[in-house]
Amino acid sequence: MKVLYSWLRDYVSVPDGPAELGRRLSLRGLALEGLEPVAAGPAPDDAVPVGDDAVIDFDVTANRPDCLSVVGIAREVAAVYGLPLRMPGPEAPGHLRTARMAGADAASFTVTLDAPDLCPRFAGAAAGVRVAPSPAWMQHRLQALGVRPISNVVDVTNYVMLELGQPMHAFDHARLAGDAIVVRQARPGETLVTLDGKTRTLAPPQLVVADRDRAAAIGGVMGGLDSEVKDTTSRIVLEAAWWRPRSIRATSKALGLKTEASTRFERGADPTGQARAIARALALLEILGAGAADGPLVDAVAIPHVAPAIALTHAHVEGLLGMPVPVEAVERILHALGFSADATGPGAWRVTVPGWRPDVTRPEDLIEEVGRHHGFEHLPATFPPVLQAPPPSDPRIARDAVARRVMLALGFSEAISFAFIEAAAAEPFAAGAAPIALANPLSETFAVMRPSVLPGVVDAVSHNRRHGRRDVRVFEIATAFAAAGERRSLAAAWTGAAGGDHWSGGRRDVDFFDIAGAVEQIGRAYGVAATLAPDVPPYLVAGRAAAVAVDGATVGVCGLLDPAVAERRGIPRADAADVFVLELALDALATAAPPGATRVTPLPRFPAVVRDLALLVDDTLSAQSLRDTIRKAGGDSLISVELFDRFDPKKGDGKVSLAFRLTFQAPDRTLLDDEVQHSLVRIHQVAVAEHGAVRR
Amino acid sequence: MPTLSELVVRIADDDAAFATALAAVDATPAAARATALDALKIAWVGRKSGRIADLMALLPTLPPADRKAFGQQVNALKQRVEQALAEREATVAATRRPAHAVDLTLPGRAPLLGHRHPLSLVREEVQQIFTRLGYQVLEGPEIEDDWHNFEALNMHADHPARDMQDTLYLNEPLHATPHAPWAAASSARARAPQPLTLLRTHTSAMQIRYMEQHDPPVRLVAIGPVYRRDNLDLTHTPMFHQCEGLVVGKGITLAHLKGTLLAMAEALFGAGTDVRFRPSFFPYTEPSAEVDVRCISCAGTGCAVCKHTGWLEILGSGMVHPAVFEAVGYDPAEVTGFAFGMGIERVAMLKWDVGDIRLFYENDLRFLEQFSV
Ligand SMILES: [Zn+2]
Repeated sequence: MKVLYSWLRDYVSVPDGPAELGRRLSLRGLALEGLEPVAAGPAPDDAVPVGDDAVIDFDVTANRPDCLSVVGIAREVAAVYGLPLRMPGPEAPGHLRTARMAGADAASFTVTLDAPDLCPRFAGAAAGVRVAPSPAWMQHRLQALGVRPISNVVDVTNYVMLELGQPMHAFDHARLAGDAIVVRQARPGETLVTLDGKTRTLAPPQLVVADRDRAAAIGGVMGGLDSEVKDTTSRIVLEAAWWRPRSIRATSKALGLKTEASTRFERGADPTGQARAIARALALLEILGAGAADGPLVDAVAIPHVAPAIALTHAHVEGLLGMPVPVEAVERILHALGFSADATGPGAWRVTVPGWRPDVTRPEDLIEEVGRHHGFEHLPATFPPVLQAPPPSDPRIARDAVARRVMLALGFSEAISFAFIEAAAAEPFAAGAAPIALANPLSETFAVMRPSVLPGVVDAVSHNRRHGRRDVRVFEIATAFAAAGERRSLAAAWTGAAGGDHWSGGRRDVDFFDIAGAVEQIGRAYGVAATLAPDVPPYLVAGRAAAVAVDGATVGVCGLLDPAVAERRGIPRADAADVFVLELALDALATAAPPGATRVTPLPRFPAVVRDLALLVDDTLSAQSLRDTIRKAGGDSLISVELFDRFDPKKGDGKVSLAFRLTFQAPDRTLLDDEVQHSLVRIHQVAVAEHGAVRR
Repeated sequence: MPTLSELVVRIADDDAAFATALAAVDATPAAARATALDALKIAWVGRKSGRIADLMALLPTLPPADRKAFGQQVNALKQRVEQALAEREATVAATRRPAHAVDLTLPGRAPLLGHRHPLSLVREEVQQIFTRLGYQVLEGPEIEDDWHNFEALNMHADHPARDMQDTLYLNEPLHATPHAPWAAASSARARAPQPLTLLRTHTSAMQIRYMEQHDPPVRLVAIGPVYRRDNLDLTHTPMFHQCEGLVVGKGITLAHLKGTLLAMAEALFGAGTDVRFRPSFFPYTEPSAEVDVRCISCAGTGCAVCKHTGWLEILGSGMVHPAVFEAVGYDPAEVTGFAFGMGIERVAMLKWDVGDIRLFYENDLRFLEQFSV
């Protein structure tokens, strides 16, 4: 809400300049949004403009419709400075006789409230007018607040809206058919050309102000073009009504029509301010010589406003704020803001809420008023007591941290990507299922929730490649989304060098066994043995990728990303960028991990015997099956079988040499050479029998 | 016979001459510098013909009373010359090494270490701060239902405050159960699962789930990604990370909130950081306050970072609204509570002077590598 500093001073004699005023109000709930110094303009008292003025822009929070008016802000200023607020007159002019609905005999028109729940009050008055431009001072004030001057009559209605916060409308009396104004729900398909020249098609329960024949205005939102005040208008009907906020909000949203009026009504205007607004507008018309009332005020009230009363205690005030606030301060603040606080006992009040404060319904709301005007700067910094040990944190936090540590140690940098991605980016990873789509995505780039965390790390590779980085190692720990629910996933991508480049040479590009090794290390960190199986999803290259399983249950994948998928994400095939990826379901991995603390194995008391064994076998034989054979044949004393070399002695003959380091050890004695030798012979025999192995 | 004053002038001349000669050596190409340095050394501190020795030779020509003063000045010059020469020699020597030694200046064979994401670093720091203060740290579902994200937080369907947070909705509601700890209705106050329709706009949704299932006292922070329909610009991304704190119990006050946030600010931005509360509005707190920290780049004197206010807004907070307690089945007459919500990105931007929030989501290694493991 913009206010003109000099206008504000009509109602409160603030001693500070605009900047200091803005600073002080910022600490009391009206945040200073902008401050624009302007030259002083013409004033209502015709004083010669001197010096500087300023347009102060306050950020008014959604709960404070009262501060969408100059008087509302002046009331805050008065409370901050402890100064009196001078309300613009007249309060209740003597020449305006209130004609209630039942006996509006003396008025030239009647008002019927057909939708009393949504429009419980409608005040109106007829006036004879001479339409002309409004005086310079009024135009200046309207313009300063961003409202375009139109004519004296329209300007007066806008001026009153800005001043008091009550939106008004003036109808050209000559364009209203009959003398009965009805506030009713629009008929289905009813149309109205609004002031902006657009034809609006309306529907119930949207509200209209109608004459005998048709709608003349969309209630609380915008007037109709036909009954607009023109240069030729000689008689008007002024409207000041109260509209149910949710009704205005729904209508404004449905029509895509947001106006100064709808903004105020949807937040909640003062349900008691209608007659005052009419009176003020009529007084201004007279002051400007633009016209005068020619009939009584018609104040149709279907449901009278009942001011809420709230019981407040001093103990509650201090108890919620945690700071001392003197009883007198509580009373002074509430009074300054227009609340009436009647003492009901020592430190206890019955507080009546003024109509312009629809946000105040509970004692806590009053305590906020007291707290902010007493000053949050007086709050001491204390600590809430700890009454019990905190329950454990989400187990995923510590669990994810394990994966993060391993990945960092393996040289992967941590990435964070948006959870919504392009549909095309999700498609290869969605396993045939439709990904979860957003109804109102910002753009096609953010259309669906990622079914896997891989698209993010693949895009990270693409981004870095495009920025001249050949070697990329990134990982992300995040949520993947599917119809079955959310799951926490670790995804990583590795392309380019397997190790750091070094002057001593030895550079090699990443291959399957690097990514498999990473999977192995993660499994080790969680205390599970991950095994690899050849079935892989289509986004990986079969034969150079694997499904990762723990105890027979698949927990993820690792291997070479399909170059076609990589290419679609901007990683060209041409630069021979093999991208190896892994993705592990951390929930599943953690579930598979053995519960509780691992026990330490005591160090062996008797020496171990180490023997190397190289066997020539078909190169299609998996190392795993040969290793299993050796284990089985080795007996209890064979405690470890490690593959340490793989060698192709005669290239092309389909035979490969696998070398194992075998460790023999007994817990209760030193093994004899003969025993070890015997085991080796048996291992060899079984390997020959089962795999046709030849010892080298 | 020269007088002492004449000789003092000569010492000063020699001093200046040496400085000139030294500068000439420094300007010699690296390959010839050692030779030039040797020549300079002989010319100045050579035992027989050096200029220092020449000066010393004049000592006996002075009257005995002046000799001490002269000797001291020549010695001072000698020390300056020798020190300058020694420094240059050390520099020259460092570029060579004995034949048997490795070149210590070659890069070592450093295994690659990954780099932490800055948001991950801030998140962990915040977790540590609140763990230290006795909070439990929780995560929660990112796809939420209307009740937990809005309704229970006093943001009803026609509440204007819903405009404050533009929400991303799912095309079709999901009927999945949220992650395990929050799936089971372990309390009589927990509601039957509702269809999941939106991406949570704040981690407050998590707090509702927790309160529905646990009796007070409550002392938790909920951390994780949240989503809003904000276009990307320097300070907005449609996904960002939030950390929200909630403390509920008997007699919890706004002053407790201030003490807690002050402790957090000092831990994040250093001792002496000040905080201030500005009254504000959130539907789920009453009273509500925006919290500023004293500008960390100008210490409050005013600069471009703080738009010359001396303060930086870092979070929104307040006392839990009684309507929220009613929604989760707590008795607002029995307990009070405070809550606050802070953007992790905002803290990271302030901490490391990051001017563009989008950098956090590009995963550019040139950016990430500026952060350690
Ligand atoms: Zn600053």
